[in-house]
Amino acid sequence: MSILWLRTAAALYSCGLLYALIYLFWKSTRLFTPALIAFGVGAVFHLVSIVELRAQTGHLPLNNFYETSSLCAFLIAVLFLLAYSYYRIAIFGICLFPLVFFMTLIGATEFPVASWSSPQVRNVWLIVHITTVLIGYAALILSAVASVYYLLQERQLKRKKVTPSANRLPPLATLDRVITQSMNAGFVFITIGVITGVVWAFIESGTRWILDPKIAFFLFTWAFYLAMIFLRVSAGWRGRRIAWLAVSVLGCSIITWATHVGFRTLWPQ
Amino acid sequence: MKLALAGINHRTAPVQVREMLAFRSEDIPAALSCMQARGAREALILSTCNRVEVSASLADDIPADSLLDGIVIGRNGLTLEAVRPHLYLLEQTDAIRHLFRVASSLDSMIVGEPQILGQLKQAYAQARDHGSLGGVLDTVLTRAFNVAKRVRSETEIGQSAVSVSYAAVELAREIFGSLHKKSVLIVGAGKMSEGAARHLFRAGATEILITNRTSDRAEELARIFRGEIVAYDVFRNRLSEVDIVIASSAAPEYVLTADTVRRAIEARKNQPMFLIDIAVPRNIDPEVNNLEHAFLYDIDDLQRLADRNLETRRDVAQQAENIITEEVERLKARLRERDIAPTIVSLQEQLETIRREAIDRYRGRLGSLTREQEEALDAITRGIVGKIAHGPISEIRRQAAEKADGEVRQGELVNAVRRIFRLRDS
Repeated sequence: MSILWLRTAAALYSCGLLYALIYLFWKSTRLFTPALIAFGVGAVFHLVSIVELRAQTGHLPLNNFYETSSLCAFLIAVLFLLAYSYYRIAIFGICLFPLVFFMTLIGATEFPVASWSSPQVRNVWLIVHITTVLIGYAALILSAVASVYYLLQERQLKRKKVTPSANRLPPLATLDRVITQSMNAGFVFITIGVITGVVWAFIESGTRWILDPKIAFFLFTWAFYLAMIFLRVSAGWRGRRIAWLAVSVLGCSIITWATHVGFRTLWPQ
Repeated sequence: MKLALAGINHRTAPVQVREMLAFRSEDIPAALSCMQARGAREALILSTCNRVEVSASLADDIPADSLLDGIVIGRNGLTLEAVRPHLYLLEQTDAIRHLFRVASSLDSMIVGEPQILGQLKQAYAQARDHGSLGGVLDTVLTRAFNVAKRVRSETEIGQSAVSVSYAAVELAREIFGSLHKKSVLIVGAGKMSEGAARHLFRAGATEILITNRTSDRAEELARIFRGEIVAYDVFRNRLSEVDIVIASSAAPEYVLTADTVRRAIEARKNQPMFLIDIAVPRNIDPEVNNLEHAFLYDIDDLQRLADRNLETRRDVAQQAENIITEEVERLKARLRERDIAPTIVSLQEQLETIRREAIDRYRGRLGSLTREQEEALDAITRGIVGKIAHGPISEIRRQAAEKADGEVRQGELVNAVRRIFRLRDS
């Protein structure tokens, strides 16, 4: 039963993720209260799940990676809710909502489920996963290219060596906008890619999936990406710093992609 | 008919002379009438602060020098002798080339500045309204506008800023893209900062804050730019609101330190800031340029940028000169063609009429002919006429092409051909 509560909690936490994505694009905080309520209810289900697991096993559920991840996510959720009730700082939600959701999602994959209901669902699922990830990468590449231009243009302006006319780079503000927008779009797609990917791996290879280095690296890239988005939104990082980060995230993504392509050729169909 | 142009410009005459010769806009129609009365078929007067030029197409028997009088005529106390050393007089090809260069801003004090084309167009409209255009000069001017357009689109002549205040605007564009709705803070309301602010204002900057130790000058600027006055001792508090700072106060020490600017940038969430320090001694700590998101340019930086742009413009001017040479040749060919075309056409028509008449007269005597025979008759007569016409036509063309000085007047050969073949004047 506890796994069901945990999955319910993950579903509720996903409202938080949705809020974070909406905030990135429209800077709208209207959905914060519903998201927060869903998040709180999710935490309650999460607690129920953990208590039940404790009752079943007779000790705190910290046996393996999944249980640790789940408990850790729960603690983060509780801390966030406490911090919010004291300080009313909503901005952490942008980073923590997605994080808690994913850690819970990972925790919820401890017990393997039955295989795909039909090969068609499996295929469509895989196509959705690959497509969203590739769109995400494309946006990330755009963002990284704009970042390189930004760094060059900024350097020229600082050194007072603006080349006359002809092969001018775009203005800094324009580049900054391109970086932000493509970064946000990339984040949305890669997030969807992560969700579909995790579910795919879970169904496909059961509980062993977490040991797969390519997935670990994918999750690392995504976490890096999340951190970058958070720094930009909360700390107001922009310009040179965010440009360097965008280039680094692209670097990580390239490694992720390389591990996937290298792996897929060996994947037994 | 011939083209002639007389005038002075910033290179041939100092401003004291130019201002004496400048036409007021309302005097131009009378001056145009005066030139027409003295034998000009077409006339145009261009009068700007850097040049005064009259151009005209004249009948062949009127000497080009008469145009010089056109400049001084009716000016109180001005004699031709006094200004003659400053005047230039150009004819035919030289005049065409000169008009092309003027329109393309190659003859301007600041090469590539865009105003001159507008001024020339205005002069053109004025002359046209007055009815003093409509022939060769009209063709040349219309072409000149196209040439200017071509020069502007095919070279980079007009693309870089050559004045300090415009260089500032250009830099601001490099940072912000559009300056629409950008806010500007002017510290110290001097002439220089007014110039830079005016350019920024024109480029779309809307919110302008002005601070000055004495308030009367600040009020004047605030009126011009519909700006807001900020008290001098508190302007640093508003620093985080502005995108662009222009400093030109007479303060002997830095009015903006790196620390102040750093705090302002933090407060505006790292949005970039462009600081222009045109004061001497400087108003803004040079350390500011080392801050992230701050771009500081002092007067020397801007001057260097403007100078470099001016240099590139000079290189580019050479490309523009090549375009102009090409266009002058093309126009000359067109004018020549226009000159001889009527003669060639009427010669061909005349011979064709003779042929038709001859056939009509003798056709009856030949009796009935087969279709082939009819066609042969036609071909033979056409062949004869064509052979006769070939000599004079190719000779006219050859001579027209040889007129290297680009004379647009009808040559003697053309007249001879017209007489020999009894061509009516069209």
